Amino acid sequence: MRLSVLLLFAVAAALAVAQDSQSKTDPKFVAPPDAAAKENPLAGNAEAAAGGKKLFLRSCAECHGENGTGIEDAANLQTPEVQKQSDGALFWKVTNGNVKKGMPPFARLPETQRWQIVSFLRALKPTKEALPSGGNPPSSPKRR
Amino acid sequence: MRLLHRFILALTILLSSFVLGQEAPYFVTYDHHLEEPRNLEIATSSTIGVPGVRRKAYLAPYMELEYGAKAWWTTEFYLESQSTRGDSTVFTGWRWENRFRALAREHWINPVLYIEYENVNEATRIQKEVVGKTPDFGVPNAELVRERSHELETKLILSSNTHAWNLSENFIVEKNLSASEGFEFGYAVGASRPLSTMASAQNCRFCRENFAAGLELYGGLGGTDGFGLHNTTHYLGPVISWQVSDNAALHFSPAFGLTRGRNPVLLRLGYSYEVRGFGRKMARLFGGKP
Repeated sequence: MRLSVLLLFAVAAALAVAQDSQSKTDPKFVAPPDAAAKENPLAGNAEAAAGGKKLFLRSCAECHGENGTGIEDAANLQTPEVQKQSDGALFWKVTNGNVKKGMPPFARLPETQRWQIVSFLRALKPTKEALPSGGNPPSSPKRR
Repeated sequence: MRLLHRFILALTILLSSFVLGQEAPYFVTYDHHLEEPRNLEIATSSTIGVPGVRRKAYLAPYMELEYGAKAWWTTEFYLESQSTRGDSTVFTGWRWENRFRALAREHWINPVLYIEYENVNEATRIQKEVVGKTPDFGVPNAELVRERSHELETKLILSSNTHAWNLSENFIVEKNLSASEGFEFGYAVGASRPLSTMASAQNCRFCRENFAAGLELYGGLGGTDGFGLHNTTHYLGPVISWQVSDNAALHFSPAFGLTRGRNPVLLRLGYSYEVRGFGRKMARLFGGKP
């Protein structure tokens, strides 16, 4: 009994300190050049992008918001900093996540569905909040 | 006490009727995909033992609370019970499971370390893992519940994704800390695939993309007093899952015994519901940092 109580306290304590500290920008979160060079096999396929929206809302919107503008510390996906990245780079990031910074990998989704998400990300229209300081691109390190 | 046990059993069965997530359809085998951070998955499953000759049928429901503590750490709490036909209904104990992702990036093979503490009695029948040698299921529940054991179970989970297929292999080592027994070994392997890899634009319940199917094989490998296949139990069966909605999923698997001495068939049913952003909601509720 005593062991059980101790274990339950351990669970509670572990969960209390388990809040992820996500970062809006992580300069180390960069796709390798060969991955970034991959082309989206679904590029220009409107139906694929529409399916991607459904997947995005199911898997990504919890942190990135329904419009991709980012909630709390999750990255705003409408910013030029994200949008200038290649489809291959975005695909690599969706696949691998940034585990140390709190973004899970989405390799559980079939490859086609991950490309669909990338297609949807391309369709995101920048809103005011996506454009810092009057619409100028941010001055953070260049990433592909 | 008996009333309490019945209440817990009723609660787990009741919850099973309204609680499922998009994941591999396995019941026993684990893949390397962890729960997403701050999501809570509530799941209930039941293992139904179809009796063989001179055996009794049983129903062993269990409830799981799975929480994504970090992107690399998933923790899970189980409550389990069991009801044997012509015998009794008993609460069989609880488990606390943790899975740790070993590598930050996706690789050809992705290792996950698993460690679980079990506070269960000998009447446990959920068979979330099959290890060691074939136990005797002919003993009445009243006798079995008196034998409570503290067990430590570890697994090395190896899992790969290739061409929309998931291939997973688990190597299990279990130690009963309450008795001076050696280690017991087991294994589980699974392969599964969604029926369609492309997501349709519409929200649909019965689209092929919402279904995944595969095969699962698991069994015991003896213990330190005799490693191998002698007097061990093995099951093979198809696994099917259906993503009923964005948050809910159903799983089903009939597993067929490949060896004599235990239930010839195990029917497994599961239902899970994912509460997205649970941790964030709780943090907001209590005024903490999300």
